[in-house]
Amino acid sequence: MAEGGALGIVVLIVFIGLMLGFFFIGRRWPVSFRSLKGYEALAVELERAVESGERVHLSLGTGTVIGQESAPALAGLTILARLASSTAMSDKPVIASTSDGAMSILAQDTLASSYRKVGASTRYDYTSGRMIGPTPFSYAAAIPNLLDTEEVSVHLMSGSFGLEGALAADFGQRENAFVLAGTSDVQAQALLYATADYPLIGEEIFVGGAYLDMGQMHDASLRTQDVIRFVMIGLIMIGIFLKTIGVIH
Amino acid sequence: MKFGTYLLWVVIAAVVGLIVLLGYFISSPLILDLRQLLMQWAVILAAAAIFMGLINLFIVHWNKVNDQTAGWAYSAILIFLLLVSLALGLIFGPDFEVMFLLFNYVQLPIEAGLMALLAVSLVVAGFRMVSRRRDIFSFLFALTAILVLLGNSPWLMGSDSTVAHLIGNVRAWVAQVWSAGGARGILLGVALGAVATGLRVLMGAERPYGD
Repeated sequence: MAEGGALGIVVLIVFIGLMLGFFFIGRRWPVSFRSLKGYEALAVELERAVESGERVHLSLGTGTVIGQESAPALAGLTILARLASSTAMSDKPVIASTSDGAMSILAQDTLASSYRKVGASTRYDYTSGRMIGPTPFSYAAAIPNLLDTEEVSVHLMSGSFGLEGALAADFGQRENAFVLAGTSDVQAQALLYATADYPLIGEEIFVGGAYLDMGQMHDASLRTQDVIRFVMIGLIMIGIFLKTIGVIH
Repeated sequence: MKFGTYLLWVVIAAVVGLIVLLGYFISSPLILDLRQLLMQWAVILAAAAIFMGLINLFIVHWNKVNDQTAGWAYSAILIFLLLVSLALGLIFGPDFEVMFLLFNYVQLPIEAGLMALLAVSLVVAGFRMVSRRRDIFSFLFALTAILVLLGNSPWLMGSDSTVAHLIGNVRAWVAQVWSAGGARGILLGVALGAVATGLRVLMGAERPYGD
């Protein structure tokens, strides 16, 4: 067993157990969400974009599938599935962009399966999930052209971004698009706070599935995160107390 | 997709994910070797996927040139340079001098230029944020940004002045106490969200590889 391995496995089992537990009791105990302006405004903006025949663009960031930064992009794919089904009947279906080849393939798969689910397979176009630049800044440089030529009015960013994320969000603002942006990088979050209309802070990037009603498991994982967070806060407080009174050093 | 095929993808994804995950906790040679092998496969697949992504990029821009849509000239330049650099790389190899020149004197300066543009964009965005989002958080954000800038930058009256020291101390206090504490809290939330997302994929509740 690796150092700390047993504890890691226990935490994982508890995490999975709580998720399954909340999943099964979820129907009898509906979840209530705190207000998140970004996701609330997104629902309105999506309707407006579909009705006025404007394009929705989702940026999945500059992270790779096999890197540690894949989690926010996976959360972005959940949002993409929702966007695809919501905009399936629009004149201009949703476009997803990324800087990673594997992520673009996942985006294409997500789009194809989402259109199939709502009986709109013909809407799928493999160029809707695309890699627009292989490096972070080449990706950011390609964003203005994409927003302009595809007539994007809703510019969403859910993925791994570094400093280039601020530029990508700013380009959206310059096109007068609705900009909702989130990432896992703390420094980039600070930049997005200034550049995006609706920044997502901390774990808010991972709650899209639950807020956009993508299923019981998303609600369950949200509840699990809350429980684990409270446990961790409790442990931190106990640690502070014990250190203050000199029990631990 | 048939249920059997769908189940097969879920099982493959879950088993592979579980092996890689267990590799972090259990130091058994069998699991570590398996994890190493799977990660190597993933790297090879990711490299192949970049090639697929480039083909996709080529087709998107080819269609733009073909249809003469707005901005087609940029697409034509992209295709031309993509083919030139691809040909050079394939014929002479990645260590060819011209490839280094292209990287050092074209790509690198352009990316550095974008980085510089970021500084200007952020200042404009800061003003825009304060004018559009008039709440206490925007005000605090702008105030902290100004404070940190003042605390880090050289002072005309000399960095040894009392005011410079005071601002520097306040900057250090904000950065080391408030900022570090807040960042840790945010990181905690991000880590929990990332774990939950990973576990949903592992359990087959979320299938980024399609249904």
